[in-house]
Amino acid sequence: MATKSTTAERPRAAAEPWRLALVCALAWLVPGAGHLLQGRRDKGVVFLVTLPLMFAFGLWLQGRIFPLEWSDPLVFLGAIADRGIGLPYVIAHLADAGAGTVTAASYEYGNTFLMTSGLLNFLAILDAFDIAQGRK
Amino acid sequence: MLPTVPASHFLFMVVYALLVSIVFATLLKDQRREQVRTAAMMFGAFLAAAVVFGWLMYPFPL
Repeated sequence: MATKSTTAERPRAAAEPWRLALVCALAWLVPGAGHLLQGRRDKGVVFLVTLPLMFAFGLWLQGRIFPLEWSDPLVFLGAIADRGIGLPYVIAHLADAGAGTVTAASYEYGNTFLMTSGLLNFLAILDAFDIAQGRK
Repeated sequence: MLPTVPASHFLFMVVYALLVSIVFATLLKDQRREQVRTAAMMFGAFLAAAVVFGWLMYPFPL
């Protein structure tokens, strides 16, 4: 017996590979852009405001943007997390910001804000990818 | 000129909890009402957990 299939039950068609790559690249470069590109305006705006704000707060708290050093795995992982935020990282790098002040009371908080903003943007990228794949 | 960084660890924790709660709620829920509710609950849980763990660690100075 043939099963009935309604439009609502069918998953949305997945996007072309080039479009998936574009969505992910844009979502990394500008937090929230992956959602805005796909018409998820509310979510996109929230990410666009909160994630760069979190990164800026981390810089203000004198956190450090870690260098990509293979010799120290924890620093390396921190560096990957820092770079997850995209354009704000590039701007901070070009402006020589994020040197960090180890003696500052807020130093560790700053690091936490910087890394968390990047890691949360990675989650936002995955969410944008799922939307583009038609899973959400 | 940027304002001086405040020395309140509690304030840093509150700002951190607020921002993380907003992002997580936005990721997890699709309806605005649900997002607000989830963010509020998560924010409250962050603060409550921090206060509870803070007191638990009180007798153990570093």
